[in-house]
Amino acid sequence: MAQIQESGGGGHGKGGKKRAKKSSTHVDMTPMVDLAFLLLTFFVLTSTFSKPKVLRMIFPEKLDKIDNVKAPEVKDGLTLLLTDKDKIYYYRGSLKPTTELIPIDYTRTGLRKVLVDYNSDMLLKLQDIQKRMNKVDEKDTAAKRKLDDEVLQVQTASKQIVLVKNDEGATYRNMIDVMDEFMITQIAKYFVIDEGMAKLEKDLIKKQGN
Amino acid sequence: MPKVKMPRSNPTLDMTPMVDLAFLLVTFFMLTSSFRTPEPVVVDPPTSTTKIEIPKQVFMITVDNKGGAFIDITNAAVKSRVFEKVCNQYGMKVDSLTVKKFAGSGAIGMKLSSIPQYLELEANERTKVNQTGVPYDTTGKKSELYWWAFYTRTEAHADFKMREEEAKTRKLPFDKSNYIQFAVKAASDAKYDAVKNVIQIFRDAKVKQFQMITGLEAEPSLK
Repeated sequence: MAQIQESGGGGHGKGGKKRAKKSSTHVDMTPMVDLAFLLLTFFVLTSTFSKPKVLRMIFPEKLDKIDNVKAPEVKDGLTLLLTDKDKIYYYRGSLKPTTELIPIDYTRTGLRKVLVDYNSDMLLKLQDIQKRMNKVDEKDTAAKRKLDDEVLQVQTASKQIVLVKNDEGATYRNMIDVMDEFMITQIAKYFVIDEGMAKLEKDLIKKQGN
Repeated sequence: MPKVKMPRSNPTLDMTPMVDLAFLLVTFFMLTSSFRTPEPVVVDPPTSTTKIEIPKQVFMITVDNKGGAFIDITNAAVKSRVFEKVCNQYGMKVDSLTVKKFAGSGAIGMKLSSIPQYLELEANERTKVNQTGVPYDTTGKKSELYWWAFYTRTEAHADFKMREEEAKTRKLPFDKSNYIQFAVKAASDAKYDAVKNVIQIFRDAKVKQFQMITGLEAEPSLK
């Protein structure tokens, strides 16, 4: 108790002599509690707990002679075209005037399904490695490292290449969504083309829009 | 024999444990919380499923939806040194008080010449200043943003080396995670080309690795 114990309120001392009642030394703590909870509320509401998450991106060093560097042309590659109003198209293989663009969206049934289908070989291999990884003993670092190396080998050997091109209308969110899908579907090789879409691709999108 | 009187008990509630608890919590929140520094622009970053947390020390590049770039460095010592170097680059003389004020000023997005004037203002007046971003040049000429990026890269490296050296001489464990990294916080509705242009300046300054700040998203499934 906060109050200091006194010897009985109006105690009967020697010979029953009456004494003046001592005033209590009890301190009222209510305002202090008020203050404490006020501060508590303030700090609870102002503090930010969840740290923001980050997506790591590595950009290659800029080359001085950019003219000589051409966008890689991939025979069986997948090209994603990001355009305005959150629209996204893709096509397989190299670009021809007759190429048909297929419209998709950024959802699970759109972009992710396309990427999963495209990358299914590698996903199977990685799942297999993951299964073996789960069986490995926690302390067996050598075996773990071996499996990690295997993952790296599968990724390096991957023939699945995705090119990403955007036009002036594509937003930052679109690009982050695409990068995120690459991470989820374990696409090991992707390129974001610096100069964006070619003229033919823009024309094809225009044709699609009509 | 006189009647035995029961001592009347006070109907007060003992608040001491409650005060103890309240102050304990207050102390906890005071020590753990980090205050959000006032930002000249509020941007809403896109979400992703990544689980990597933001590094401790960052050079924060905020890009608003108009393509304006705002910069901030979490390490005050490095921040003031970079400021001095950039001022030096443009032949501007700044006193130590201005440098000190700059280190604690939060994100900044204006041309270098107007920074000292801005720092003279009181905190509540600063928020009224309309900031449009650090000037940069997309044609490849060395702009103010370029020098900010360049000196942050060199100073971050110098700072890292210095602390590594210090840890070695004092035989203390060295925490590598304090290396200043470049984080990009861009508005989700910003045009990608605008963000790319800002990143381009940093690539010119030989910064290659970026941490794109995103909000949290639910666990993905492949199906």
